[in-house]
Amino acid sequence: MTNELMPLLQLSDSQFPSGAFAHSFGFETYIQEDVVTDADSFKQALVVFLKKQLVYNDGLAFKLAMDCLEQGDRDYLMELDHLLFASCVSHETREGNRRVGARMAKLCQELYESLELRDYLNQIKEKTAYGHAALVFACVYQSLKISKEAALETFLFTNLSSLVQNAVRGIPIGQTDGQKILVDVHPVIKEAVHSIMNLSIEDLGAGSPGLEIAQMHHERLYVRLFMS
Amino acid sequence: MSHTGFLSLQATKRDSRTVVHGFYEGAFKFTRPVKLEDDSVSIYLIHVGGGYVEGDTYFTSIHLEEGAELSVTSQASTKVYKTLENPVEQKTTIRLAPSSILEYCLDPLIMYEGAKFLQETTVEMAGDSCFFYSDIVTPGWSEAGENFRYQWYRNKLKVIRDEKLVLFDHLLLEPDEDLEGVLQLEGYTHVGSFVIFHPEASRTFGDRLYEEVASFDLSVRLGISNMESGGIVVRLLGNKTQTLESVMDRIHTFARKELLKKEKITWRKY
Repeated sequence: MTNELMPLLQLSDSQFPSGAFAHSFGFETYIQEDVVTDADSFKQALVVFLKKQLVYNDGLAFKLAMDCLEQGDRDYLMELDHLLFASCVSHETREGNRRVGARMAKLCQELYESLELRDYLNQIKEKTAYGHAALVFACVYQSLKISKEAALETFLFTNLSSLVQNAVRGIPIGQTDGQKILVDVHPVIKEAVHSIMNLSIEDLGAGSPGLEIAQMHHERLYVRLFMS
Repeated sequence: MSHTGFLSLQATKRDSRTVVHGFYEGAFKFTRPVKLEDDSVSIYLIHVGGGYVEGDTYFTSIHLEEGAELSVTSQASTKVYKTLENPVEQKTTIRLAPSSILEYCLDPLIMYEGAKFLQETTVEMAGDSCFFYSDIVTPGWSEAGENFRYQWYRNKLKVIRDEKLVLFDHLLLEPDEDLEGVLQLEGYTHVGSFVIFHPEASRTFGDRLYEEVASFDLSVRLGISNMESGGIVVRLLGNKTQTLESVMDRIHTFARKELLKKEKITWRKY
């Protein structure tokens, strides 16, 4: 039995080489267009990103994946993988998610080997699945028997923490300001976990139009710090 | 289950022209096929009531047989009124056989105070068929003078090409303190989408399309990207139906010319 705190700490560590640090998922467009200029405007965007993007996409997919793995239904995981891929309308962001997902699958299988993840990794290698970090984390946390709420909270926090690190470099904002934002969003993460627990597959994939356009614009930016 | 409106259309290629058969029930009707200037056949969908209300359900089926070419549009905007309990549901299934071409361009959907609307459109297409799709959603006038008084709008467009899911475009608009802000509508009121699936709708085509429309009307914010193996999604934000429509016309005309070798389409609406 794994001590349940340590894998959560390791997998949510900003030093964990997930590859997410290379992606802004559209935020760089807002920085270049002077929409996100400081800690306040960044925090505002980050909260909406959590409530409207992560809740209906990565977060909900993560929860649904944990549900299906709990019931031993691995076919459903494939369906989620395909829905996540096809619901992302920016080519670059879709590719970013796929790359991070494939890399995480490989790395996590070396660290926390499981049957669930082995299957998913094989499907990615055979190109029957695309790969998405949300589904990789769901495999790992499910195989370690970590509670759904704790796993989901960690997963959402990890996503936000990675975007905060990017904001520190990209806007830039101070390290302390970045950490303050993470503290400020604690209650919003709790609410997001609660919302996700009450959503179903019918809600999966809902996109935010402004963010989608920002992600599309990123593909045409001349100077970029981030790959998406 | 009986629907508020039901409509079924089938297009077949006879010799070199497309012939349309079908039937309708309830609040749905369609016009007889109209020939446009370049010999394309066009059908206008009509809603005979004043708008969509509480618990209405609509079902549309469109099937294009091999080589058939058809343009489908609505005759006017669709108005969704207050729904107390059950949302209005509209489902559409589209099947496109090899070498067929469907241009499916809907007028704006107007969401009035208290409206709840769920739309699901599923397209199953052969790899070498072609599908153009456009829609616009706008908030309706409200007594309080505020724009966003509807309950929610949910639109799902699923495209399955050669039995593989290639697009799941899901838009959910729920008026709250965030809807008009950053990442969401960003100060705009109207959301438009233009989707193109064609074997030659590559990334390069998307770049040329972007050149063509990016600076055409700066009051419209738009993004263009490509899906794998021949798909383009254009997302637009604007404040007026007319400006969005003029940008979308330009997209349509460019795609028609480049991909279908056809001239600009001129719908006859009154």
